[in-house]
Amino acid sequence: MATSLFYILVFPGILFLGLFSLALEFFDRKFHARMQNRKGPPWFQPLADFIKLSAKEGIIPEEANATLFRLMPLLALTAATVSFFYIPLWSTRALYSFDGDLIVVIYLLTIPTLAFFLAGWVSASLYSMLGAVRALTQLFAYEVPLFMAVLSPAILAGSWSLSEIAAFFNDKPLFIIFNVPGFLISLIALLGKLEKVPFDIPEAETEIVGGSFTEYSGRYLAFFRMAVDIEMLVGASLVAALFLPIGLDLHPVAGFIVYILKVLFVVALLSVLRTIFARIRIDQMIRFCWIYLAPLSLIQILIAFIVKGLFLQ
Amino acid sequence: MSIISKMVNWARLKSPWIIHFNTGACNACDIEIVDALTPRYDIERFGILLKGTPRHADVMICSGAVTNQIEDRLKRVYEQMPEPRFVVAVGTCASSGGVFNGCYNVKGGIDTVIPVNAYIPGCPVRPEAIIDGVVKLLASLEEKEG
Repeated sequence: MATSLFYILVFPGILFLGLFSLALEFFDRKFHARMQNRKGPPWFQPLADFIKLSAKEGIIPEEANATLFRLMPLLALTAATVSFFYIPLWSTRALYSFDGDLIVVIYLLTIPTLAFFLAGWVSASLYSMLGAVRALTQLFAYEVPLFMAVLSPAILAGSWSLSEIAAFFNDKPLFIIFNVPGFLISLIALLGKLEKVPFDIPEAETEIVGGSFTEYSGRYLAFFRMAVDIEMLVGASLVAALFLPIGLDLHPVAGFIVYILKVLFVVALLSVLRTIFARIRIDQMIRFCWIYLAPLSLIQILIAFIVKGLFLQ
Repeated sequence: MSIISKMVNWARLKSPWIIHFNTGACNACDIEIVDALTPRYDIERFGILLKGTPRHADVMICSGAVTNQIEDRLKRVYEQMPEPRFVVAVGTCASSGGVFNGCYNVKGGIDTVIPVNAYIPGCPVRPEAIIDGVVKLLASLEEKEG
């Protein structure tokens, strides 16, 4: 009982998750700054932002639905945090696992987006409603390619459990190369999920001030920012567990370092993408996702079936 | 001072998010503010981020003399900012009304409508002066609360 509480609350649970996601935000911002030939923020910047926002006045607009307005940041934060426990990090065993946790993790990762939508909707501000509708529209574009991309490792491994998938790839590491298209698709879909450039259409500052978060201030905003950070960490961990399952049978300390490096690698790729691209319009984004990403993910599933039929029977 | 309020004060000094509001400037100060936000001056190293909405911001950077038309909007945007909030008047016109002082449609400097924490003179101000002004504002907060 005490050990599982320790696992959930401290390591690799909520405390580790919070601190590592803040560190990850710093890494993302610093890397972004260095690529723009800037010095970038100091290492404590995300922590200072979080503390400052938590201590600020939280305004709830008069027109807004106060209960939902308060609830949505917590919902987003909780869903993102819970999904972390089912992902195998530095061994082939996740903290908790059952057959089908892959689907649960992906659905839990969808909940923050729905929370962003509802948060924008109940804010009763025109800008946040526009942002909310855009967030939901974007969801329909990237969600299907993401689902189909993460199905391919599951088909190869013949299991719906993330831990069993990791164990399978640990036994047969060469099968990773058949998942490269899926890796790229999930990276792009992750950009859309995290609402980063070029897919930051829902919070486009120059058009609709702050998107769903326009009316949010103080600790509610702090929770939302934390939820986005944790979503980034969970998304990167998920991609690392599915598409880069290497070094899982090492000594725990070495495995931990490999895990950190894998997550940093995925986040660095996301930073590069958000540095070199500019924001596109919502119709361009949906067209791109349905014309290129969705067929590519179908091809990925086809590859998985063919490989499974040829080599794994 | 307790450790928590010390930490909060430290965090406030390290992460001032700004919102830019043109109260009737001729656009020269606005261009200089945008200039200060470019990678060349890299104000993110002080934790300064430009925010689109007053709800997220701590410091409002105002440029230009307050015209009769913008007065209500200025008050409303100021009231939308969550406490603690600060106002910086950028440029001579924002500080005192400048050459527009006494015009039939001009109220005067920013401080005729809302309280101002720091004045940065210049016509237009240089980006270095804006950064210096914001940093001095933060330093004064440190003395007051520390």
